[in-house]
Amino acid sequence: MKIKLPKFTPWMAWIGGLVVVTAAGVAAGLMVFWKGLSLTNLTDMVPWGLWITIDLSSIAMSAGAFSLCAVVYLLGLKRYEAVARTATFIGLIGYTMAVLTLLLDIGRPDRFWHAMIYWNKHSLLWEVTMCVTFYLAVLALEAMPIFAGFGWLRSHWPKLSERMSRVHHYAPYLAIAGLALSMLHQSSLGALYGVLKARPLWYRPDISVLFIISAIAGGMALTVFASMLSARLTRHANVENSVLDRVSIIIGWVLVVYLYFRFWDALSMTYTYEPGRTEGLHLLTGGPLSFNFWIGEIFLGAVVPIILLLNKRTRALPLWRMLALALVVGGVVAYRWDTNLSGLFIILSYLPGEPAVTYTAYSPSLIEFLTGAGIIGYGLLAFSLEAIPVVGD
Amino acid sequence: MSDIKINRRDFIKLTVAGVTVLAGSQIIRRAQALETLASNGRQWAMVIDQSKCTGCDYCTLACRAHNDIPPEISWNVVTKTGTVGAQDVYTPRPCMQCAHAPCVDVCPVRASSYRPDGIVKMDYDRCIGCRYCEIACPYGARSFNWKQFDGPNPSVPEWGQPDISRRPRGVVEKCSFCYQRIDRGLALGLTPGIDEDATPACVVVCPVGARLFGDLNDPESNVSKLLRGRTSYRLRDDLGTSPRVYYLSATEESQS
Repeated sequence: MKIKLPKFTPWMAWIGGLVVVTAAGVAAGLMVFWKGLSLTNLTDMVPWGLWITIDLSSIAMSAGAFSLCAVVYLLGLKRYEAVARTATFIGLIGYTMAVLTLLLDIGRPDRFWHAMIYWNKHSLLWEVTMCVTFYLAVLALEAMPIFAGFGWLRSHWPKLSERMSRVHHYAPYLAIAGLALSMLHQSSLGALYGVLKARPLWYRPDISVLFIISAIAGGMALTVFASMLSARLTRHANVENSVLDRVSIIIGWVLVVYLYFRFWDALSMTYTYEPGRTEGLHLLTGGPLSFNFWIGEIFLGAVVPIILLLNKRTRALPLWRMLALALVVGGVVAYRWDTNLSGLFIILSYLPGEPAVTYTAYSPSLIEFLTGAGIIGYGLLAFSLEAIPVVGD
Repeated sequence: MSDIKINRRDFIKLTVAGVTVLAGSQIIRRAQALETLASNGRQWAMVIDQSKCTGCDYCTLACRAHNDIPPEISWNVVTKTGTVGAQDVYTPRPCMQCAHAPCVDVCPVRASSYRPDGIVKMDYDRCIGCRYCEIACPYGARSFNWKQFDGPNPSVPEWGQPDISRRPRGVVEKCSFCYQRIDRGLALGLTPGIDEDATPACVVVCPVGARLFGDLNDPESNVSKLLRGRTSYRLRDDLGTSPRVYYLSATEESQS
């Protein structure tokens, strides 16, 4: 007797691959909870590494949600509504990824709730934790009408689905709350570094500004990329191309602003020698991080996408536009990675006399890579299974 | 759109509730201020005389034993920092117990806090292990417990017996000026800095008397007298952290 198997499609291969990666990540994550952070390559010199980069990047990639919701509900540009919905969904996935990564990264995940109880209003990390928690709630509410639209929910619990879709009436209030919370913590993530006087490379006001600008560019880029990808993969996903085109132009100009500030931020550090800061800048411009900095952040992450997105001919070609958007995302991740490590690699002596600088190094361990890949795999899986039918519904 | 309606009565109720919460938090703050007075105005400080220090590292070992610290971690690090004449100069570095401590500012859960007597105290039951304080500390005085410390402590019993319990895996730890010894000593009527049982272990063990401990607010304490008589400096004073550890430099004259 023959059993008829369903036809094997590339879609199934993609989902199957993601399931494997996510499962490996879950196994590695359980190892971390069981054995502790000694499984990582983190040290007292470099206590933050790959995970903090994933954490910062997934929050940055979620910034499309607040930016586009503000465009739709505060500026009243209703034709961006479909793309704002995709952004909200990506935001929800991104923030859950960030929370998962943070749980791995803290030494006592069982005490994750302490920030809710023991407030330290001076601590930017406390402020970020609170904002992330509240914003996750805002995103869940914003995504409620999307969940309400799912067929199985509508047929099984019609009343609940009805209730959930009514949350839509509060969208403008949620957009204001989301804007306020995001502006607070997207920049505070940069200020986390910027307030540390012990680290001269970080101790400057610019990082917070650069973090929020690059997050807006990266978040919108990922949203447009995801919308275009799902439009290609599924037939019913259909977002007006003119809307995506407009958003792509906005991304191009946001990148110009980002590059402008980044230029002045870096250039101002080249004047006069300051112990720790000058060495840190040299790590970026000529040291172990220089490839990331020049190629990843500046050339591929900003200059190339600016040209591709602001030039009408390349922007009109879907593949070129998608390439540009993917490069923006890569550039934002590279910026987070470089910012974290350039500050940590420099160890400024506390001894009297001329401040001496020593260097340290870090590369993630296998378990860090596996858990990191698992978290990204989870994000892609959640998007592939849930959000693709969402786009343009 | 306006499904939310608040009538006047509800508004008044909410306002009253809000004011009550605010007033309550103010009362708690007052109570905390009263606690400050309970230190009787004592401000502990340590003086390290580099002209006497021989770099023997006894302080580190006694510290490991009394605070039950794993061998990979040092609350007190002794570094050779040059020579004066024919003599090597060492800089021992405990926690500076800064009056404006970056670690206290950045901790998201207030696991680091100021005691009324100025000591920066860690609450190991509250720390979530985010390691932000490690990154913020200019002195590298903080260490993370990457793994559980189990098995015997190689410094015990040769260098002393533990006075406090071991920290669990996943929290940050640092020097405490042995406040467990200070508190117990004061309760017994002893004077920290004079009586050994009320003084930090590193000060007690030092074979050359390079470390002194006492109350900065008492003009007659040994540290106050010493700091009046000799020029001292503090590490990275330029950062504005106001450390409570003072150093007396090794000079050509002091060596002879």
